[in-house]
Amino acid sequence: MRALCPRADGADSKPATALDPRLPHPTKILVRPLATLALLLLPALAWSQATVSGDAVAGQRKTQMCAGCHGIDGWRTAFPEVYSVPKIGNQHPAYIVKALQAYKSGERNHPSMRAIAASLSDKDMADLAAYYGGAEPKTASK
Amino acid sequence: MQMIALLRFLAAALLFSAAAAGAADIKAGEAKAKEVCQACHGLDGNSQTADYPKLGGQRPDYLAKALRDYKSGARKNAIMAGFAGTLSPQDIENLAAYYAAQPAVLVVKH
Repeated sequence: MRALCPRADGADSKPATALDPRLPHPTKILVRPLATLALLLLPALAWSQATVSGDAVAGQRKTQMCAGCHGIDGWRTAFPEVYSVPKIGNQHPAYIVKALQAYKSGERNHPSMRAIAASLSDKDMADLAAYYGGAEPKTASK
Repeated sequence: MQMIALLRFLAAALLFSAAAAGAADIKAGEAKAKEVCQACHGLDGNSQTADYPKLGGQRPDYLAKALRDYKSGARKNAIMAGFAGTLSPQDIENLAAYYAAQPAVLVVKH
Protein backbone atom coordinates (compact mmCIF):
# COMPACT_ATOMS: atom_id res chain seq x y z
CA MET A 1 0.00 0.00 0.00
CA ARG A 2 2.72 2.39 0.92
CA ALA A 3 4.32 2.06 -2.43
CA LEU A 4 1.05 2.84 -4.10
CA CYS A 5 0.30 5.94 -2.09
CA PRO A 6 3.60 7.52 -1.15
CA ARG A 7 1.99 10.74 -0.01
CA ALA A 8 -0.21 9.03 2.56
CA ASP A 9 2.10 9.91 5.39
CA GLY A 10 5.23 11.96 5.43
CA ALA A 11 7.31 9.35 7.27
CA ASP A 12 8.90 7.66 4.32
CA SER A 13 7.91 9.92 1.48
CA LYS A 14 10.69 10.65 -0.93
CA PRO A 15 12.86 13.72 -0.39
CA ALA A 16 11.99 16.87 -2.19
CA THR A 17 12.79 15.57 -5.64
CA ALA A 18 9.11 15.35 -6.44
CA LEU A 19 8.52 15.54 -10.13
CA ASP A 20 7.56 18.86 -11.54
CA PRO A 21 4.34 18.19 -13.41
CA ARG A 22 5.13 20.99 -15.84
CA LEU A 23 8.18 19.14 -17.14
CA PRO A 24 8.04 15.95 -19.21
CA HIS A 25 8.47 12.78 -17.19
CA PRO A 26 12.15 11.74 -17.11
CA THR A 27 11.38 8.45 -18.85
CA LYS A 28 9.88 10.45 -21.67
CA ILE A 29 12.99 12.55 -21.95
CA LEU A 30 14.96 9.34 -22.46
CA VAL A 31 12.49 7.30 -24.46
CA ARG A 32 11.57 9.88 -27.07
CA PRO A 33 15.04 10.42 -28.53
CA LEU A 34 15.78 6.72 -28.32
CA ALA A 35 12.63 5.86 -30.21
CA THR A 36 13.41 8.52 -32.78
CA LEU A 37 16.92 7.19 -33.14
CA ALA A 38 15.63 3.65 -33.55
CA LEU A 39 13.17 4.80 -36.21
CA LEU A 40 15.93 6.61 -38.02
CA LEU A 41 18.18 3.58 -37.85
CA LEU A 42 15.62 1.04 -39.03
CA PRO A 43 16.07 1.63 -42.74
CA ALA A 44 19.84 1.58 -42.24
CA LEU A 45 19.52 -1.73 -40.45
CA ALA A 46 17.32 -3.17 -43.18
CA TRP A 47 19.77 -1.89 -45.76
CA SER A 48 22.73 -3.48 -44.05
CA GLN A 49 20.89 -6.80 -43.90
CA ALA A 50 19.95 -6.59 -47.56
CA THR A 51 23.52 -5.94 -48.54
CA VAL A 52 25.49 -8.51 -46.61
CA SER A 53 28.57 -8.43 -48.75
CA GLY A 54 29.12 -11.63 -50.64
CA ASP A 55 32.39 -13.46 -51.10
CA ALA A 56 32.50 -15.16 -54.49
CA VAL A 57 35.29 -17.54 -53.48
CA ALA A 58 33.35 -18.65 -50.41
CA GLY A 59 30.26 -18.89 -52.61
CA GLN A 60 31.97 -21.24 -55.00
CA ARG A 61 32.53 -23.62 -52.10
CA LYS A 62 28.81 -23.58 -51.25
CA THR A 63 27.40 -24.65 -54.60
CA GLN A 64 27.00 -28.36 -53.77
CA MET A 65 23.24 -27.99 -53.43
CA CYS A 66 22.92 -25.79 -56.53
CA ALA A 67 25.21 -27.43 -59.07
CA GLY A 68 23.18 -30.63 -59.41
CA CYS A 69 20.48 -28.67 -61.24
CA HIS A 70 21.74 -25.18 -62.11
CA GLY A 71 25.19 -26.42 -63.13
CA ILE A 72 23.93 -28.86 -65.75
CA ASP A 73 23.13 -27.43 -69.15
CA GLY A 74 19.52 -28.13 -70.08
CA TRP A 75 18.51 -29.68 -66.74
CA ARG A 76 14.80 -29.83 -66.05
CA THR A 77 12.80 -29.88 -62.86
CA ALA A 78 11.01 -33.14 -62.18
CA PHE A 79 8.42 -32.03 -59.64
CA PRO A 80 5.76 -30.69 -59.37
CA GLU A 81 5.91 -29.42 -62.95
CA VAL A 82 8.49 -30.13 -65.64
CA TYR A 83 10.39 -27.15 -67.02
CA SER A 84 13.99 -26.11 -67.47
CA VAL A 85 15.77 -24.83 -64.39
CA PRO A 86 16.73 -21.20 -64.95
CA LYS A 87 20.22 -20.14 -65.86
CA ILE A 88 21.60 -18.14 -62.96
CA GLY A 89 25.16 -17.43 -64.14
CA ASN A 90 25.63 -13.65 -64.62
CA GLN A 91 22.27 -12.86 -63.05
CA HIS A 92 22.22 -9.73 -60.85
CA PRO A 93 23.51 -10.80 -57.40
CA ALA A 94 20.80 -8.72 -55.69
CA TYR A 95 18.14 -10.59 -57.64
CA ILE A 96 19.62 -13.97 -56.70
CA VAL A 97 19.52 -13.01 -53.02
CA LYS A 98 15.94 -11.78 -53.41
CA ALA A 99 14.90 -15.04 -55.05
CA LEU A 100 16.55 -17.15 -52.33
CA GLN A 101 14.90 -15.06 -49.61
CA ALA A 102 11.53 -15.45 -51.30
CA TYR A 103 11.97 -19.24 -51.37
CA LYS A 104 13.06 -19.23 -47.72
CA SER A 105 10.03 -17.19 -46.65
CA GLY A 106 7.67 -19.32 -48.71
CA GLU A 107 6.71 -16.41 -50.95
CA ARG A 108 8.02 -18.50 -53.86
CA ASN A 109 6.98 -22.06 -53.57
CA HIS A 110 9.06 -24.49 -55.55
CA PRO A 111 9.47 -27.41 -53.10
CA SER A 112 13.17 -28.19 -53.68
CA MET A 113 14.16 -24.55 -53.73
CA ARG A 114 12.21 -23.87 -50.55
CA ALA A 115 14.00 -26.70 -48.77
CA ILE A 116 17.42 -25.61 -49.99
CA ALA A 117 16.92 -21.90 -49.31
CA ALA A 118 15.65 -22.68 -45.82
CA SER A 119 19.07 -24.08 -44.99
CA LEU A 120 20.94 -20.97 -46.17
CA SER A 121 21.98 -18.07 -43.96
CA ASP A 122 21.99 -14.49 -45.23
CA LYS A 123 25.75 -14.81 -45.61
CA ASP A 124 25.43 -18.05 -47.62
CA MET A 125 22.95 -16.33 -49.94
CA ALA A 126 25.22 -13.34 -50.42
CA ASP A 127 28.23 -15.57 -51.11
CA LEU A 128 26.32 -17.70 -53.63
CA ALA A 129 24.94 -14.58 -55.32
CA ALA A 130 28.45 -13.14 -55.55
CA TYR A 131 29.70 -16.37 -57.14
CA TYR A 132 26.87 -16.93 -59.61
CA GLY A 133 26.26 -13.28 -60.39
CA GLY A 134 29.83 -12.09 -60.55
CA ALA A 135 32.78 -12.56 -62.81
CA GLU A 136 34.83 -15.73 -62.38
CA PRO A 137 36.45 -15.54 -58.96
CA LYS A 138 40.19 -15.19 -58.99
CA THR A 139 42.02 -18.11 -57.47
CA ALA A 140 44.92 -17.48 -55.17
CA SER A 141 47.22 -19.81 -57.09
CA LYS A 142 47.02 -18.06 -60.46
CA MET B 1 -18.32 -45.18 -70.17
CA GLN B 2 -19.58 -42.27 -72.20
CA MET B 3 -18.36 -40.00 -69.46
CA ILE B 4 -14.89 -41.47 -69.73
CA ALA B 5 -14.90 -41.06 -73.49
CA LEU B 6 -15.93 -37.46 -73.06
CA LEU B 7 -13.19 -36.84 -70.52
CA ARG B 8 -10.66 -38.41 -72.88
CA PHE B 9 -11.83 -36.17 -75.66
CA LEU B 10 -11.59 -33.10 -73.45
CA ALA B 11 -8.09 -34.06 -72.30
CA ALA B 12 -7.00 -34.54 -75.89
CA ALA B 13 -8.53 -31.23 -76.90
CA LEU B 14 -6.78 -29.51 -74.00
CA LEU B 15 -3.43 -31.05 -74.93
CA PHE B 16 -3.90 -30.03 -78.53
CA SER B 17 -4.75 -26.43 -77.66
CA ALA B 18 -1.75 -26.26 -75.29
CA ALA B 19 0.46 -27.47 -78.13
CA ALA B 20 -1.10 -24.95 -80.50
CA ALA B 21 -0.37 -22.12 -78.05
CA GLY B 22 3.20 -23.45 -77.90
CA ALA B 23 3.93 -22.37 -81.46
CA ALA B 24 5.73 -19.19 -80.53
CA ASP B 25 6.09 -16.17 -82.75
CA ILE B 26 9.36 -14.42 -81.96
CA LYS B 27 8.49 -11.30 -84.00
CA ALA B 28 5.24 -10.87 -82.13
CA GLY B 29 7.20 -11.45 -78.92
CA GLU B 30 9.55 -8.62 -79.80
CA ALA B 31 6.63 -6.26 -80.45
CA LYS B 32 5.12 -7.17 -77.10
CA ALA B 33 8.48 -6.81 -75.34
CA LYS B 34 8.81 -3.25 -76.70
CA GLU B 35 5.38 -2.48 -75.38
CA VAL B 36 5.45 -4.16 -71.96
CA CYS B 37 8.86 -5.41 -70.79
CA GLN B 38 11.55 -3.20 -72.27
CA ALA B 39 11.38 -0.37 -69.74
CA CYS B 40 12.62 -2.57 -66.91
CA HIS B 41 14.20 -5.66 -68.46
CA GLY B 42 15.68 -4.01 -71.56
CA LEU B 43 14.86 -4.97 -75.14
CA ASP B 44 17.69 -7.50 -75.19
CA GLY B 45 16.86 -8.72 -71.68
CA ASN B 46 20.07 -7.35 -70.24
CA SER B 47 18.49 -5.30 -67.48
CA GLN B 48 20.80 -2.67 -66.02
CA THR B 49 19.00 -2.52 -62.69
CA ALA B 50 19.72 -5.07 -59.99
CA ASP B 51 16.05 -5.18 -58.99
CA TYR B 52 15.00 -6.54 -62.37
CA PRO B 53 16.35 -9.91 -63.41
CA LYS B 54 18.21 -10.38 -66.66
CA LEU B 55 16.20 -12.42 -69.14
CA GLY B 56 18.46 -12.61 -72.21
CA GLY B 57 19.15 -16.23 -73.11
CA GLN B 58 17.02 -17.57 -70.25
CA ARG B 59 15.22 -20.88 -70.84
CA PRO B 60 11.95 -20.20 -72.68
CA ASP B 61 9.91 -22.70 -70.67
CA TYR B 62 11.16 -21.17 -67.41
CA LEU B 63 10.22 -17.68 -68.59
CA ALA B 64 6.77 -18.88 -69.64
CA LYS B 65 6.26 -20.64 -66.31
CA ALA B 66 7.26 -17.47 -64.41
CA LEU B 67 4.81 -15.36 -66.43
CA ARG B 68 1.99 -17.88 -65.95
CA ASP B 69 2.67 -17.92 -62.20
CA TYR B 70 2.65 -14.12 -62.00
CA LYS B 71 -0.60 -14.07 -63.94
CA SER B 72 -2.25 -16.71 -61.75
CA GLY B 73 -0.91 -15.22 -58.52
CA ALA B 74 1.06 -18.37 -57.67
CA ARG B 75 4.10 -16.11 -57.70
CA LYS B 76 3.44 -12.83 -56.00
CA ASN B 77 4.95 -9.60 -57.17
CA ALA B 78 3.03 -6.36 -57.28
CA ILE B 79 4.77 -5.11 -60.42
CA MET B 80 4.77 -8.33 -62.41
CA ALA B 81 1.19 -9.23 -61.52
CA GLY B 82 0.05 -6.08 -63.29
CA PHE B 83 1.99 -6.78 -66.46
CA ALA B 84 1.52 -10.55 -66.67
CA GLY B 85 -2.18 -10.11 -66.04
CA THR B 86 -2.54 -8.40 -69.40
CA LEU B 87 -0.78 -11.18 -71.35
CA SER B 88 -2.60 -13.93 -73.21
CA PRO B 89 -1.18 -17.49 -73.19
CA GLN B 90 0.03 -16.81 -76.73
CA ASP B 91 1.72 -13.53 -75.67
CA ILE B 92 3.50 -15.49 -72.93
CA GLU B 93 4.83 -18.08 -75.38
CA ASN B 94 5.92 -15.36 -77.80
CA LEU B 95 7.71 -13.30 -75.14
CA ALA B 96 9.42 -16.35 -73.67
CA ALA B 97 10.67 -17.38 -77.11
CA TYR B 98 11.81 -13.83 -77.87
CA TYR B 99 13.86 -13.31 -74.71
CA ALA B 100 15.28 -16.83 -74.84
CA ALA B 101 16.52 -16.07 -78.36
CA GLN B 102 18.46 -12.94 -77.34
CA PRO B 103 22.25 -13.17 -77.20
CA ALA B 104 22.85 -15.09 -74.00
CA VAL B 105 23.45 -12.74 -71.13
CA LEU B 106 22.78 -15.56 -68.71
CA VAL B 107 24.97 -18.61 -68.66
CA VAL B 108 25.11 -21.97 -66.95
CA LYS B 109 27.82 -21.64 -64.34
CA HIS B 110 29.16 -24.83 -62.87
